[in-house]
Amino acid sequence: MSMPSDSASLRGLAERLVRFARSCGADEAEVGIGDGTEFSVDVRLGEIENLVQAGSRSLGIRVLKDGKTASATSSDLAGETLEDLVRGAVKRTGLAQADACAGLPDPALHRTDLADLDLYDPALAALDARTKIAVAREMERIALDDRRITNSYGASFSTHEGRSILANSNGFLGEYRKTYCSLSLGLQAGEPEAVVEDFWFSSGVHYADLESPETVARTAVARTVRHLHARKLETQRLPVVFEPLVTAGMLGFLFSCVSGMAVYQKATFLAGKLGEPIGNARVTVIDDGLLPRRLGTSPFDSEGVPTRRTVVVDGGILRNFLCNTYAARKLGLVTTGNADGPGVGPNNFYLAPGPHSAGDILRSCDRGLLVVRTLGHGLNPVNGDISQGVFGLFIEKGEIAYPVSEVTISGNLGDVLRNVEMVGRDLEFRGNVSGPTVKVAEMQVAGY
Amino acid sequence: MTLPFEDHFHLGPEELHRLLAVALASGGDFAEIFLEYRVYHFVLMEEDIIKETSESISLGLGVRVCQGEKTGYAFTNDLAAEKTRLAAQSAAAIVDAGAPGRGADLRDERSSLDVYPLLEPAHQTDLGTKIDIVREAYAACQGVDPAVKKVKAALQDQAQYLTIANSEGRLVSDVRPLVKLTCVAIAERGSVREYGFSGGGGRVGLEYFRNVLAPRAVGGDAAREALLLLEARDAPAGEMPVVLSPGHAGVLIHEAVGHLVEADFNRKKTSIFWNKMGERIGSGLVTIYDDPTIPGFRGSYAVDDEGTVPRKTPLVESGLLTGLLQDKLSARLMGQAETGHGRRQDYTDFPIPRMANTFIAPGEDDPEDIVRSVKKGLYADRFTGGQVEDSGKFTFSVSSGYLIEDGRLTAPVKQATLIGSNVDILRKIDRVGHDLAFGQQTGTCGKEGQDVPVTDGCPTVRISRMTVGGRE
Repeated sequence: MSMPSDSASLRGLAERLVRFARSCGADEAEVGIGDGTEFSVDVRLGEIENLVQAGSRSLGIRVLKDGKTASATSSDLAGETLEDLVRGAVKRTGLAQADACAGLPDPALHRTDLADLDLYDPALAALDARTKIAVAREMERIALDDRRITNSYGASFSTHEGRSILANSNGFLGEYRKTYCSLSLGLQAGEPEAVVEDFWFSSGVHYADLESPETVARTAVARTVRHLHARKLETQRLPVVFEPLVTAGMLGFLFSCVSGMAVYQKATFLAGKLGEPIGNARVTVIDDGLLPRRLGTSPFDSEGVPTRRTVVVDGGILRNFLCNTYAARKLGLVTTGNADGPGVGPNNFYLAPGPHSAGDILRSCDRGLLVVRTLGHGLNPVNGDISQGVFGLFIEKGEIAYPVSEVTISGNLGDVLRNVEMVGRDLEFRGNVSGPTVKVAEMQVAGY
Repeated sequence: MTLPFEDHFHLGPEELHRLLAVALASGGDFAEIFLEYRVYHFVLMEEDIIKETSESISLGLGVRVCQGEKTGYAFTNDLAAEKTRLAAQSAAAIVDAGAPGRGADLRDERSSLDVYPLLEPAHQTDLGTKIDIVREAYAACQGVDPAVKKVKAALQDQAQYLTIANSEGRLVSDVRPLVKLTCVAIAERGSVREYGFSGGGGRVGLEYFRNVLAPRAVGGDAAREALLLLEARDAPAGEMPVVLSPGHAGVLIHEAVGHLVEADFNRKKTSIFWNKMGERIGSGLVTIYDDPTIPGFRGSYAVDDEGTVPRKTPLVESGLLTGLLQDKLSARLMGQAETGHGRRQDYTDFPIPRMANTFIAPGEDDPEDIVRSVKKGLYADRFTGGQVEDSGKFTFSVSSGYLIEDGRLTAPVKQATLIGSNVDILRKIDRVGHDLAFGQQTGTCGKEGQDVPVTDGCPTVRISRMTVGGRE
C-alpha cells in the first residue's frame, strides 16, 4: 500500500482521478488534494507539555452527471479506496436531482498566469523544533516573571506547511504552497475566588511577520490583569467601543450575512438588499484574496477560480455578495472566488480603516463601554440580532475607569452598521477576518 | 482468528506490540496506538430537491507517548510500515533519553457495555432509505404553514471503527454508530424573517426514525419554532428569575459545571473548582452526573478513546462537589481512579477529559408549580449553545422562550444570551422539577479545537436571579 508523496505525483494522481471519473460516466469532475505537515509545542510552567508532529493529507472529489452532484473525501489515498469512492460517487449522482446551477466554474475564468502572493516562507520551513520550543518557553517565562500573573494555560508555537492541488475536467490544474505559524499564550491573574483570564496571539504566513515572543507575552499580561476587580453594570443603553478583535468577531458575523449561500437560502437579513444602504458612510468592507502574504490569501479558491478584491460594502451601500459558482448562478451574479469546500468562505475580509486613533475614540466617550472580549454565541444571521456576553472596560470622561464583567450587549447588526460613529486606523490582519477599533453610538447593555 | 480491526488496518497484535516498543525506545511511562477508520455519509435536501450526497473515508493512526506531565503525539494516514514507525519515533521525541521501556503483552479485551442498540446500521443501509427519511422531514416542515419559505433537511451517519493498544497490555476495539437528522426552517411574514431548528438521532440505527422519532416530527418542530419566533417580541434586559425548560436547558449545566470538572483544568489549577473537592458549590437541590453508558445517546460509548470502560460519574451531589471527569493522564497524575472520559475528535488528536451525557438529577417539585412561583421572569425554552471560561463566567444562548407574568407563560420572546458566574448561579437554583428530560440528540461540544458528540439533560429548574441579555 504505497502512496505518492512528491508534488508531481500528487498532481498526477489528481489528473488521473479526474480522467477515471470521466471514464466512469461523470460529465464533470473535480479533485482537490491537500498535503501538509504540522508541528506544535505547548509549554506550561516552563516545561514542555505537548509536542505534536505529523504529516497528513486529504483528497476531495466532486462529480456531476446529468446536472446531479455527488462528492466524497478521503484521508486514505490508496488507489483502490479512491477508485471505489469515485465509482460510488458517480453511481450516487443517480439518486440526486438535477440542478441547473450545479457544476464546475466557467472554464474561461481559470488562469494559468497566477500572481506570486509570497505565501511560502522557506525560513519557517527551515526552522527547527528546538528553536520553536525555545521561543514558546521564552514567551511564557517573560509573562510569568510578572508577579501579577498567577497561572498559565501554556504558551504554544504552531507551524504548518502545506500544498494544495486542484484539477478538474475542464483542464484546470493548479497548485500552491503555503506556510502558517502562530504564537499564543493564555494566562490567569487574581485571587482564587476572583480569577481572571485572557490571552494573546500572533499569527502569520511568514515567520518574520510574527510579533516577538516578548510582545506577545507583555500584551497577554496586560490584557489579563486589566480584568482584575471587575464590576457588573446597571442595565442601560450606552455608547460601545469594539477593540479590533471584537470588531473582527462582528465582521465574521457580517460575513455570514453576505455569503451568497445564505442569501439564496434566505438565511440572512441582507438578502435582497443589494444596492441598498445597510450602514452609514463610515462603513466600507472589502474581501481581498490577493493581499501578499496574508492569512486569507490564495491564488485560487477551492473551485480553481482566481481570487480577487471585492468591495462588499462601499460607504454603507451593499455592493456585492460573496459567492462560489453555485451561489452566483442561483443569484444571477458572478463568482467572487470565495468557494471554500462545499460552501463560501472569506479570503481577507475586513472593515476598511478610518481616520481615528484608538486613543481619540476613547477620549470621545463621556460614558461608554469598551468591549474587549466576547463570551458565547448569540449572533443570528437570519434577522441580524446580536446578544453576547462581554468583558469590557467602563469609559468615563474619555478614560478607562474600571473593568466590567457579567454583562451582555444586544442589538441588531443593521443598527450597529448604521450607528457606527468612528472607525479607527488600527487595522491589523491577525486572521482572515479583521477590523480596527470601532465606536457604535449606542447598544443595550444588560447587567443588574 | 482475525480480530475485527485487522480487516481495516492490516496491522495485527504483533505489529502493534512492535510499534509500542518503538514508541518506548527512549523510555516513558506510557505509550498508546490509536487506529481509526471512519466512514461517513451525508444527504442534503434544499430548494425542493435532493441536492447532494457525499461519502467520506477517514483512516489514520495516532501514537502517544507520555512521561510525567509531558505528552508526545504524532499521527499519519499512511499505514505503511515506515510511516507508522516514523510516527512512533516522532511521538517518542518528547522523552528525555533513558532506558527503553517495554510494553506488557497485549490482551484482546471487550467492553462489557452494550450501548449501541442497533437493528439497521445506517452505514450499511442503502441511500434510498436515507433519502426517504430526509424527504419526509422536509415535506413535513414545508407543509406546516405557507409562511415557511425555505427548508433544509439533512441526514448524516457514520461508523467509527477504532482499535486501541497500549503499553499496559490493553488491546480493545469498538465500532461506534452515529446518526443525525436535522431540519432548518426559515419563515417569513412581511419584513420579519426567523429561523427554526430541530433534529435527533444518536448512536442508533435507522429504525430509530420509525420507532422513536418520526422524521415528520423533526420537520414540523423546526417549522413551529420559526413560526413562533415570527410572533415573538424582544427578550427583556436585566436581572430576573429564570425558569429553564426540561431537556434542552441542560446546556446550562454543561457550561456552568461540566467543563470546570474536567480533570485537566483541575490538575492544572485553572478551574475555579480545583481546590473545592467535597465543598459546597451549589444549592442542596443540585445533583449532577455524567453518564456515558446511556444506550443510544450521542455522547455514549462502550469504551472511551483510551480504551477505558466508562462509568456513570457523580460530579455534584446535593450541592457538594464530589467528582471529576478523568482521563488516564490526569487520573495517574492526580492519583485518582479513571472514569472513562478520555475522548478525542479523531486520530489527529490526543485524548483529553470530556463530557459525554451530562445532566441534573430530578428533584421533587412539580414543573407547573415552578412556573406558577414566578411573578415576572423568563422561561428559557430552546437553546443554541454556550461558552464558559475557567473562572466560572459562562453564557448560554436562548433561541426562543416566553415571558412569565403572574405565574403564567405569556408572550413568546426572541433570542437572548444569559450570563452569570457559576458559583453564584448554582447557589441560586432554588427549585428543581421531577421531570428530567434530555435535549435533542444533535449536540456537539468543542474544546481545544476538538469536537465530540454530547448530550445534556435537566428537569424544569428555577434560578432565582440571572442576567438576561435581551433588548427591552
